[in-house]
Amino acid sequence: MATPGHRSGTGSQPNRLDRGGLIDRSRTIRFTFDGKTYTGHPGDTLASALLANGVVLTGRSFKYHRPRGILSAGSEEPNALVELRDGARREPNTKATMAELFDGLSATSQNRWPSLEFDVMSINSLLSPVFVAGFYYKTFMWPSALWEKLYEPMIRRAAGLGRASDDADPDTYDKATAFADVLVIGAGSAGLMAALSAARTGARVILVDENAALGGRAIDDAAEIDGKPAADWVRSVETELSQAKNVRILRRTTAFGAYDGGTYGAVERVSDHLPKAAEGAPRQRLWRLVAKQTVLASGATERPIVFGGNDRPGVMLAGAVRTYLNRFGVAPGQRAVVFTNNDYGATTVTALKRAGVDVVALVDSRPELSEQVKRIAGEAGTKLISGGVVTGAVGKKRVTGVTIQTRTDDEIKLECDLVAVSGGWNPNIQLTTHQGSRPVWNDTLHCFLPGVLPHGMSLAGAVAGDLALHKALAGGATAGASAATSTGRQATPTAVPKAAEESEAITPLWRVKNPNGKAFVDQQNDVTASDVELAEREGFRAVEHLKRYTTLGMATDQGRTANVNALAIMAEITGRSIPETGITVARPPYTPVALGALAGHHREKNFKPTRLPPSYRWAKEQGAVFVETGLWLRPAYFPRPGEKDWLETVKREVTTVRSAVGICDVSTLGKVDLQGADAAAFLDKIYMNGLKTLGIGKARYGGMLREDGIFLDDGTVARFGENHYFITTTTANAVKAVQHMEYCHQWLFPEMDVQIVSATEQWAQYAVAGPKSRELLQKVVDPEFDITDAGFNYLQVGEITVCGGIKARLYRLSFSGERAYEIGVPARYGDALIRRLMEAGQEFGACAYGTEALGVMRIEKGHISGPELNGTTTPRDVGLGGMVSSKKDFIGHVLGKRPGLTDPDRPTLVGFRPVDRQARLRSGAHFIARDAVPSASTDEGYMTSVAFSPSNGHWVGLGFLKRGPDRIGEIVRAYDPVRGGDTLVEVVSPVFVDPEGVRVRG
Amino acid sequence: MAKQGLTATSAFLHWKPVANSNLTVDARETLTMASFAAAKGKKDELNAAVRAAYGVDLPKTPSRVEGQQGVAFVWAGPEQWLAVAERKDGRDLETEFKKTFGPLASVVDQSDGRVVVRISGPRAREVLAKGIPLDLHETAFRPGSAAITHASHIGVILWQIDDKPTYEVALFRSYVDSFAHWLLDSAAEYGVAHA
Repeated sequence: MATPGHRSGTGSQPNRLDRGGLIDRSRTIRFTFDGKTYTGHPGDTLASALLANGVVLTGRSFKYHRPRGILSAGSEEPNALVELRDGARREPNTKATMAELFDGLSATSQNRWPSLEFDVMSINSLLSPVFVAGFYYKTFMWPSALWEKLYEPMIRRAAGLGRASDDADPDTYDKATAFADVLVIGAGSAGLMAALSAARTGARVILVDENAALGGRAIDDAAEIDGKPAADWVRSVETELSQAKNVRILRRTTAFGAYDGGTYGAVERVSDHLPKAAEGAPRQRLWRLVAKQTVLASGATERPIVFGGNDRPGVMLAGAVRTYLNRFGVAPGQRAVVFTNNDYGATTVTALKRAGVDVVALVDSRPELSEQVKRIAGEAGTKLISGGVVTGAVGKKRVTGVTIQTRTDDEIKLECDLVAVSGGWNPNIQLTTHQGSRPVWNDTLHCFLPGVLPHGMSLAGAVAGDLALHKALAGGATAGASAATSTGRQATPTAVPKAAEESEAITPLWRVKNPNGKAFVDQQNDVTASDVELAEREGFRAVEHLKRYTTLGMATDQGRTANVNALAIMAEITGRSIPETGITVARPPYTPVALGALAGHHREKNFKPTRLPPSYRWAKEQGAVFVETGLWLRPAYFPRPGEKDWLETVKREVTTVRSAVGICDVSTLGKVDLQGADAAAFLDKIYMNGLKTLGIGKARYGGMLREDGIFLDDGTVARFGENHYFITTTTANAVKAVQHMEYCHQWLFPEMDVQIVSATEQWAQYAVAGPKSRELLQKVVDPEFDITDAGFNYLQVGEITVCGGIKARLYRLSFSGERAYEIGVPARYGDALIRRLMEAGQEFGACAYGTEALGVMRIEKGHISGPELNGTTTPRDVGLGGMVSSKKDFIGHVLGKRPGLTDPDRPTLVGFRPVDRQARLRSGAHFIARDAVPSASTDEGYMTSVAFSPSNGHWVGLGFLKRGPDRIGEIVRAYDPVRGGDTLVEVVSPVFVDPEGVRVRG
Repeated sequence: MAKQGLTATSAFLHWKPVANSNLTVDARETLTMASFAAAKGKKDELNAAVRAAYGVDLPKTPSRVEGQQGVAFVWAGPEQWLAVAERKDGRDLETEFKKTFGPLASVVDQSDGRVVVRISGPRAREVLAKGIPLDLHETAFRPGSAAITHASHIGVILWQIDDKPTYEVALFRSYVDSFAHWLLDSAAEYGVAHA
């Protein structure tokens, strides 16, 4: 990299240096900020381009609406948040320091009205005594009704950050998983060395960095490596890694969370640096990275020193000043004061001088100066104020000068437009704490270092406390090689490139005494040093309390420039050490992650997969209305022209089935193929009713209980051969029922010879129901199969062929109460079969029916379903107590006998009809005696299922009523306060149609 | 007498084959498939029967072997397999296996229950990585490897055919539309136009 030169000083980009930086000066690109057009170069961030154009005021603060500028050059930025892009792509709270510049970028400042220069809400600053820590809790106490209507909207308007777009996000997001032997997080000098030495062993390496360019602080500091500019070394490493087949470099990718088993969450900003994502490309990609070993080389974040007016635009972290000079070729000011408590901060003087920036003074709070600082000041010819502090930055919308208190307590005023401040560095330890490990205070380096590391993680570089470049390079080489070795690779030492030995000496200074003006600890949340003092006075001394009382450390920057200063100040006030005071640990994410990235392709209709039944295409052609049942999309009903609402359609479908014939897709029922010598014995264990006597070619209802005696699922069991059964489950419980069966086989009865295979999707299965069902079926069943009542009676099953030799299965089962069959064919013929059945059914007046008519007819027949099998009911509760076998042991048998489950007072299934036959019933209503006062103690049960019964001409219901079957004929109240219902209902038999069960037998 | 025959319908409602230099995606709709499981205590005899008829041993770990007569066997659980073959000349593995294995195994037709999608080409691995949370790197998953896993929340059986690489994914028929949506979305950045 060329040495930065002097500013051009005129025309566009007046603060752009003549040379230097990793920007592409051959191209000039345009962007707008608050509607005004500026220019920059590829390689700029929005922040560097604004600074190049002399824009230092970038936003207003959260609470006091104070003018704010750019504090940092990275993802720790608390102030320079903008709304990026327009329209549906508008994204609020975007860090200008991380937004890469592209041609046509548009950004708007936030939290100001009517303009950034003149913001009426800055009056809050005058009211600041009101807005101290805890003001939410103190100010708007009473009356509480005003909270929602007045206070909250008012505070939100005054204090909010940016505005999100109201439009749907037009971009796509992707998710992917990648695996590595060694994951290296951070591509600064330590991370690059770690990746290089791991890659050279042949290990699979993934290297991630949140920035577009690799190199980290070595580039920012324009360091020399092996006697050459750091950029040259970075380029050579990058070339070697890019060409290695075993290395994947993910740029613009933030590892935001550390999870169990070496899993890391990362988000790659694939297209955020482009005006628009390339055709087909996602905007961002969420990575799940799984690594055997991880080298964390996440660097460190510089901390400010807390002094008066330290939030003025023009006060900037010293490291960020060097970044703008060296990486972007921008001078962030013309007359600078450097304020530091450490040797590294002092190097900023050299960088400024080299760029031709006038350094008014180097203020070093340490009375005893190191040789390095003296040398720097001497070489630069800069005034050195040792043992002094900057007490205040003065100016309004940008710094115009500082007040300095000398060692001898004299006050000096100096004019300047840039204050570069360094209070030391905090290692970026966040990922080490995500699994609960607490950091450890280091008394030499004066920072928190990682404590116990997550399994498989090691450290390199600044995060390990090795701030100096020569140490970071060496540490990276060691960490990379040893991580690779842990995965079974052979490592030969990688030569560590040479770098000058740098001093990291520091004497802590957290804040200045007697600040001149408001001294901010957390700039994003407008928390001042006096707020910390107030919190202490009011008893919020624990760090967790301090955080929540003052809101310190929250929001998009997660307090990365604030937390350690705040707790150090708290330690100072309370006379405790920093480790005694403690630290809040971080949770994921390290930086904000867009919800779109977490959703990926799973949004809107694709939130979860959809399952389409075999008749879907045909039903859609018919104009069916569909309903989601679990993942399935099933036809709910089939409206015909002239029908005014769903009820009319459903009535017609029910009436057709009961008088002629209807066809319904029941393929969604779970189907399980069960074979083996012990299949019958196994069924006897998992069903409550006896199945041993079930003959070949017959089907029987089966009820399955949980271990605790509660109903799990029901369905039919058909027997096709000596050792071959075919079971159906409800649609909703299909997966659960198979899991249960697998569990029973694998864990409870492993000695049994049983094989279980799900066959749900093999068969397209249709219910053909109604008095004309047999006649209809005879049109498709091949003539060699006798399906007359003599040859194929109720509950018979058989393997047949249809339509000239297509294999099929026929079951004489009924859910509707009518003569009915279910016919199954291999799913590929499902579409053709429904068309053929409908065609053949024309002469009988057949119709298709959906889940609504299905539901109506099962309620009319008193058949239980999902609302009755609700996870709290026993066989007796649902009226099937008589079916429970007393002759065998089965799952649920023993615990089902518990007194609570056999209490005769338990609400039990009965039917209900409204006394006023015009009245509508609603499920969910609770039953109470006619004269009772509604309360929990007078509650006698609840309605589970209701339907308008076309067969009865009024509403009917099923429900659980205390001693229900003994109370037939009684009138009770169906009380439904939620929907204002209070209806008298008569207790009746749950079977409303054909109580003798004549029709099913034909 | 009714009309004879029924026409088979594709499970792929919204689908178009993909073929570019990055990726090819094909629906394989001419397969016969059967699940089979060894009867208790019969796994060795079953293996001998398979060896005699198809010249291979049944896999004991998640993998796929190609036998003679064009049948491939994919491990599908302890003592369970999925067998796949071309459905030409009315071939039906369920019938074939019942005859060959007799009481040694229970056999269930899956020719319609599952559909198979073949994904091949230089970008196949990256596309699958967007939904399948397994390490498909050439050193971890090779031709002949198989896995029971999920792709974008849809349960699948995955196996690798060759090192182009070519993979096949078997999934339940009703999920095909959602699977295709995910696959084409995920392939979009490799020049695959969206359906």
